[in-house]
Amino acid sequence: MKGTRFIAPVVGLVIFFAAWEAFVRAFDIRPFVLEAPSRIVHYLLRFPNDYFRAALITMKHAVLGFAVAICIAIFLGAAMAASTFLEQATQPILTLIAVTPFAAYIGSVKIGLGAFSDKPVVFIVALVSLPAFAFAAVDGMRGADPSSRELLASVDASAWEVLWHLRLPSALPSLFTAAKYNTGLALIVAYLAEKGTGGLGEIGTRAFANNQGDRLWATIFAMAILGTISLVLLNLLQRAAMGWHASQRSQHS
Amino acid sequence: MTTAVTLRGLRKSFGTLETIAGIDLDIEAGTFVSVIGPSGCGKSTLLRVVAGLEPASAGEALVYGEPATSARKHKQVAIVPQHPGLLPWRTVRANASLLLDINQKANRSTTTDPVELLERVGLTKFLDAHPHELSGGMQQRVALVRALALGAPLLAMDEPLAALDEITRSEMRLLINQLVQGRGVTTIFVTHSITEAVALSDRVLVTSPRPARIIADIHIGLTRPRPDDVEDEPRFFDLCNQVRHALHEGAHS
Ligand SMILES: Nc1ncnc2c1ncn2[C@@H]1O[C@H](COP(=O)(O)OP(=O)(O)OP(=O)(O)O)[C@@H](O)[C@H]1O
Ligand SMILES: [Mg+2]
Repeated sequence: MKGTRFIAPVVGLVIFFAAWEAFVRAFDIRPFVLEAPSRIVHYLLRFPNDYFRAALITMKHAVLGFAVAICIAIFLGAAMAASTFLEQATQPILTLIAVTPFAAYIGSVKIGLGAFSDKPVVFIVALVSLPAFAFAAVDGMRGADPSSRELLASVDASAWEVLWHLRLPSALPSLFTAAKYNTGLALIVAYLAEKGTGGLGEIGTRAFANNQGDRLWATIFAMAILGTISLVLLNLLQRAAMGWHASQRSQHS
Repeated sequence: MTTAVTLRGLRKSFGTLETIAGIDLDIEAGTFVSVIGPSGCGKSTLLRVVAGLEPASAGEALVYGEPATSARKHKQVAIVPQHPGLLPWRTVRANASLLLDINQKANRSTTTDPVELLERVGLTKFLDAHPHELSGGMQQRVALVRALALGAPLLAMDEPLAALDEITRSEMRLLINQLVQGRGVTTIFVTHSITEAVALSDRVLVTSPRPARIIADIHIGLTRPRPDDVEDEPRFFDLCNQVRHALHEGAHS
């Protein structure tokens, strides 16, 4: 039913926040442990510009990191899809990146690339999101329709033409899935690695260190909003780029 | 008379599996030749060797005097696969021009405007549609246009009508006759349908079970241009029977 598609999520969220509010008030929870939503919103609205500016910086880190990771993943994916040896050689490296907790080496990277610069943040976002993007690229490219590959081969298409006209579009669905999976991860990385850059992560980690509950929870809220906006944007982008795909067609059933 | 395709002692094996067992053949330019034979005998393989997509194991395959592999580089062969293999992200118009868009420096001066061809096959209203909006028969018409637009002197079709229903198939037979006749192109047409072979061809080659040899070379003397009711002529039945007997003998020899 069409109507409930928009009403149901709103009802769900209202109930969630009302329960949260009631819980905090009923048990008189300390602000640092859990702040009531009404007070979080109130605090956010007191400093809208600060949070907005910080959110833009965090967004920039995530977007740049994604862009770098996707570019590398596409070329790596194309190479891996073309050569089994390269795929087997790259797989353990990507797996290592995926399983190593990035929080452990954030400090080292920040010292290496400049503690007050955007570079280490973008670097770690790119590094951490690379495995999912690369595996998605290989899968998608491998899955390109064999008869289309043969068709392109019949007119002697170059490797670039095959990549651009066939492999890349074939990989779009899996790349978007990876992007959605990576969004949360990228925001976590940005949050934890952002100290000294003015992003939301900086406000949050400072508030935590200084025992400022309202500031901390306002940042958490802002991060949640940022994550939601990112996913909405990603969905819109997917609809624009993949209107031809079955997953993007509205169901008239 | 120019010879479009020359096969001399052509053999093809995949490892120990022999699929083509010595074929000698000359195809006169501008003629329509069907290849009919039992399933799995090596017809598709033969077509792929002629299209330069698969190297011969022994002997040679020449297309207009040059080795098939180099003819491929010069876009001399346009293939129509069994499954239309349209790219789902391209519109009908863009799919029809795919082969022209690839490897453009090898384009011929004899190309035909794909839009004009799409109009001729009755797809005027669907130029900007995506493949998923088309029926199977419409998709196969796009695949046919895609090959014809290239202006290549040799068309290689691999059971292009096999996936269609009987009514659409007979419509497509008429359409292929109309489109290909008088264009001066040479066509190799692989099929399982005796009716299709006789209705379309100047010559029907019957192959043995694997490894493929040519066991009958039947001249189809029906008038050109073929009238739309050619399939009602008594001679048509005689020719169909001739092909059927050749196939039958091949299967039991
Ligand atoms: N790339 C390949 N590698 C190994 N074996 C192959 C390859 N291509 C085809 N074959 C084998 O060669 C034989 C002939 O295959 P081919 O596709 O040419 O037959 P066909 O006559 O077109 O059959 P059908 O009428 O069912 O389409 C089959 O046994 C097939 O398994
Ligand atoms: Mg076949």
